[in-house]
Amino acid sequence: MPDQFATPEPDEAVKLALRRIEESTARGEGSDVEGLAFNEVVVNMGPQHPSTHGVLRLVVTLDGELVKDVIPVIGYLHRCKEKIAEKRTYFQYIPIVDRTEYVAGMNCEWGYVMTVEKLAGIRPTRRAEFIRVIMAELNRIASHQVAVGTFTADLAPLGTAMVFYMFRDREYILDLLEEVSGARMMFNYFRFGGLRYDLPDGWVEKCRDLMKRLPKLIDEYEALVQDNAIFLQRCVGKGVITQQDIVDYGISGPNARASGVARDLRRTRPYSVYPELDFEVSTQTHGDVFDRYQVRMQEMRESVKIVEQCLDMLPKGPVQLGFLRAPYVITPPPGECYTSQENPRGEYGTYIVSDGSRYPYRLKFRDPCFCNLQLFPKLLRGNKIADAVAISGSIDMVLGGIDR
Amino acid sequence: MGLEIGTNPMDMDAIAARLAADFAAELTDVRVQEPDTVVARCERAALKDVARRLKAHAEIGYETLNFVAGVDKVRHLESVYHVYSWKTNTYLELHVEVPKAKAEVDTVCDVWPAADWHEREAWDMVGIRYLGHPDLRRILLKDDFVGHPLRKDYVDSAENHPHA
Amino acid sequence: MTDMVPDRFKMRYPKLEHFQEPNVITTTADFIFSWARSHSVFPFTYGLACCAIEMLSSGFARFDVARYGMEVFRPTPRQCDLMIVAGTVNEKMAPVLKRLYDQMSEPKWVIGMGACAISGGPFYDGYNVVNGVDKIVPVDVYIPGCPPRPEALFQGLLELQIKIQQHKFVAETPKPAAQNPKPAAVTPAPVAGEEA
Repeated sequence: MPDQFATPEPDEAVKLALRRIEESTARGEGSDVEGLAFNEVVVNMGPQHPSTHGVLRLVVTLDGELVKDVIPVIGYLHRCKEKIAEKRTYFQYIPIVDRTEYVAGMNCEWGYVMTVEKLAGIRPTRRAEFIRVIMAELNRIASHQVAVGTFTADLAPLGTAMVFYMFRDREYILDLLEEVSGARMMFNYFRFGGLRYDLPDGWVEKCRDLMKRLPKLIDEYEALVQDNAIFLQRCVGKGVITQQDIVDYGISGPNARASGVARDLRRTRPYSVYPELDFEVSTQTHGDVFDRYQVRMQEMRESVKIVEQCLDMLPKGPVQLGFLRAPYVITPPPGECYTSQENPRGEYGTYIVSDGSRYPYRLKFRDPCFCNLQLFPKLLRGNKIADAVAISGSIDMVLGGIDR
Repeated sequence: MGLEIGTNPMDMDAIAARLAADFAAELTDVRVQEPDTVVARCERAALKDVARRLKAHAEIGYETLNFVAGVDKVRHLESVYHVYSWKTNTYLELHVEVPKAKAEVDTVCDVWPAADWHEREAWDMVGIRYLGHPDLRRILLKDDFVGHPLRKDYVDSAENHPHA
Repeated sequence: MTDMVPDRFKMRYPKLEHFQEPNVITTTADFIFSWARSHSVFPFTYGLACCAIEMLSSGFARFDVARYGMEVFRPTPRQCDLMIVAGTVNEKMAPVLKRLYDQMSEPKWVIGMGACAISGGPFYDGYNVVNGVDKIVPVDVYIPGCPPRPEALFQGLLELQIKIQQHKFVAETPKPAAQNPKPAAVTPAPVAGEEA
């Protein structure tokens, strides 16, 4: 048989899973079936899998359908972002930050730009602050549409109509963002001190029009699945994140708010013009899969409210600081800075160490999905393998952020 | 609704003074970074003890770990711990200097369980070994990768990068 | 509008409505099989990164890939003929990519979607990034963009349809060699032989 078809050697993660089975068998928890040493089977899910939302590999130890242990293996999308940051100037790195959490590009850019502005002591213009909030909230709605859409698409493979409705409406939002920045997904729109372009003529009216239509569209999505008995049975009571987990693992975002912890960085660590805006922090109480879905739907409605307020309060003025109009070189003074903000997935932070040169000395992303994924083995233990798909969809992972 | 945020709001200078007083021997260079972060340096040997006491502190319990970053500052390595206090809604950034010759530091996994994967990443990228870590192996790079890429002296090699 | 479509996109089939009564149409087996194959391609869901989201968007309501007969995205390589590599391939993923490519049955085609799959993209100088998926598998169509719009993906799919229509069913079409003339030590480029 040619070499390329030979069974590959088990790698570290699979060896670890096999070692754990041996240890538990040695402890006396082996099989109760005649002739079998142990009941468990080690199954590989991914890295190419329709339901793992990207190149995540799960080495699952199964006892029949029951999940005994999960070892997530990441790094299949590690694109050396943190090393590349050391070879690009601060300005050249802005498009690359977009690609960290690629469904929420505006939010990622804002996190990076905010940190560099704080290091360099630049304050953005007031009009730019309001437009930044509008873009971030529009991207939050689009990101939740992808998250919840693909989550329901996994429960029944593309069988629910919800994902089609959500992606259709996501196109309306992407149209708006494309008019402003020129791109549908990788916007490259934020600049230090402001934004690249001002809003084009007529954009505010189009945005207002869409914001009037969106709440009814969100009602439509909810009507599609919320009363479905199978959806409820698969989601209610599964994958409960407790408040102790949130403290231990640093879970943030909708995953934490679904368990009753009202921590929203737009309120607890306010930045930009959020203190002037009126919105509610969406929380639920049980912390299961269904509550996480509900928090995301509620957040979409709150984002609509925020965008409408910003459109009403939008001041006139420049969106760029005058002297920083053309591509430029920025050299923040030596120092370190960490800022974080509320990404659709949680606390997205950027830690930059600057040595006074044009290139960052060290750039580290505090990614919410990386922290949320640590909880995964604990959430899946004791559930059936089919629940693994529902739970992983509800955690909302984007591998671009986990692997960077 | 057990977990509350900001039940004990304190002024930043008061927090810095409190930490400097309670940890006078172990923490040095305690300063405030606006708006809500205290930055301090910690002795490598005292890290585990400081971590436990920080978490259990009655007024400013730093209960959640945000991230652990490894930084290569050419003459030495640094392990940066960023922790969050629910009671005061503030952050603390701890810098621990690690010599390059013997790049080891105690793990804080038993204090903050979130440190598990963050320390694995710091080991993977910068090469700081965390003593006592339950499972210190590479997390982002392939298992047989040689070297630690985020070190300043890392050179791209054909064995790590055959498809350059 | 039809005169704006380039000639090479128009396949030369007879217009069936020209026949007044049931008739006999003669053509070659190559034509029939390549016509059927090009209009019912089963793509492989190999979305790795950001381009995968644009690939997903192209499958949904606004940009409907079902118009080209390609909406059947199968997650298993055994049932696919087209692998759309959408996203950055890195050294950890390269052996997986190669194994999945090998598991697809002939005839199979590969589209490199996005700058990362063509040449490493914005991450070209990463220590872990493979500079182009054609160092591992032979690529038939390259779609530039970062990410390419769904319309760009469709142009690539249409170009692929033309390429499929040139595939000979009766006589073996020589497989294109991988672009890297020196096969990498770890994952050699596939060579079509009796085992293929």
